[in-house]
Amino acid sequence: MSDKIILCIGTKKGLFVAESSRNRRGFTLRGPFGQGVGVYSALIDTRGTPRLYASSCNPFFGMKVLRSTDLGRTFKETKAAPAFPKEDGRALANIWALEAGKDKKELLCGVEPASLFRSRDGGDSWEIIPGISNHEHARKWQPGNGGLCMHTILRDGNRVHLGISTGGHYLSEDGGETFTAANKGVGAGFTPDPFPEFGQCVHKIAGHKDAPGRLYMQNHGGWAEWDGPGGRRPDIGVLRSDDHGKTWHSIAKGLPSDFGFPIVVHPDNPDILYVMPLEPATRTCPGGVPAVWRSENGGGSWQKLMRGLPKKASFYTVLRDAMDIDELKSPALYFGTTTGQLWIGRDGGEKWECLFDALPPIHCVKAAVV
Amino acid sequence: MSPVAENKAITVSVPTPLRDCCSGAAELSLLAASPRAMLDELEQRHPKLHRSICDETGAVRRHINIFVNTQHMRERDGLDTQLAAGDVITIMTAVSGG
Repeated sequence: MSDKIILCIGTKKGLFVAESSRNRRGFTLRGPFGQGVGVYSALIDTRGTPRLYASSCNPFFGMKVLRSTDLGRTFKETKAAPAFPKEDGRALANIWALEAGKDKKELLCGVEPASLFRSRDGGDSWEIIPGISNHEHARKWQPGNGGLCMHTILRDGNRVHLGISTGGHYLSEDGGETFTAANKGVGAGFTPDPFPEFGQCVHKIAGHKDAPGRLYMQNHGGWAEWDGPGGRRPDIGVLRSDDHGKTWHSIAKGLPSDFGFPIVVHPDNPDILYVMPLEPATRTCPGGVPAVWRSENGGGSWQKLMRGLPKKASFYTVLRDAMDIDELKSPALYFGTTTGQLWIGRDGGEKWECLFDALPPIHCVKAAVV
Repeated sequence: MSPVAENKAITVSVPTPLRDCCSGAAELSLLAASPRAMLDELEQRHPKLHRSICDETGAVRRHINIFVNTQHMRERDGLDTQLAAGDVITIMTAVSGG
């Protein structure tokens, strides 16, 4: 039986690994690994002997991929990081997504500028996936505030879903050979056309293995007051699809803000999902009062979860990859803040507790039972 | 037609964080006529070190400075600065952080 919870916490100053027994009573902290260097993505690969991966975004020496085969006690650089072919003209600026691929040692990696890479040997060598990296839209995508990043990779059999900011949602139905923009119903508040074919600022997409047609998206909302060309665009921030991402509709009604970054689905129930609404102007908790919001009916209605969270003066941001959920029977949520706090929401977010309160600003949090 | 610059015996000083990319060496002895030729040589002999100094387009990374003896190469002819025998090329990170 699995007996440990592992958290990978990517921060502005390196990667931390927290570990607990299944009861989650106390977490020990290791790190930072890749000291002093920003970590924007991590993967706990539980296929076979668990391996931990993290990107290391070195402003001096470029991108590295870190790998651990001892549950995060030590990390070593892999032999290579993704790199564009020399004649391509693009240079790797960051690594935003690391995901398990189809075969045991296969990894997929979403990067900035938005492109997709594959490794077939656990991260020691990489090849570019041209179907999306050289897509006819690729040179038309624009960077958002975080950069032109491919941040979401979701696999579902032969389907691959990608989230790009700002590029939108792209779908492959042939195992990643070719991709098409699939953004019907996904709004954009920063172009005259409220529903363009592509170019949306998708923040994160989440799915569930037992409901493969169902997807949830946290899109860049916060455009209800816009009164210029194209008109108002309320509630374009939180969306649902029931046809593998081909069409999307809003499920934002009932939330205090449709702006946010992460979106997370319950491991056992595809109708239960979580978002963290933020004020669009400041990208911080509304009124300085943080809360995670949960829907138990696929976005039909929402409940506020804030027991144990601060009641005032908390103006932090939770970034797109900084919330996750473990897979125990009564799962716990975890989120990390730009002020360096790591929170655990026990019983599916019913009761919150701060595990670590003075880490560097947190970019990503990944949880797994190993 | 300009004459081909002759390679000179130079020394490259490697910063501590990059020494793992060249078997721990603090200094490398090379033959090169310019910093550009020095980087080409590094790409052949120590590709991981080269990738840490230059991105995949071949451009020197934004926060890396290359000095020829005590002068930044940009104060001379940049990557095409003509090197003399005995020159020391120092690779340093820019001052930055936060």
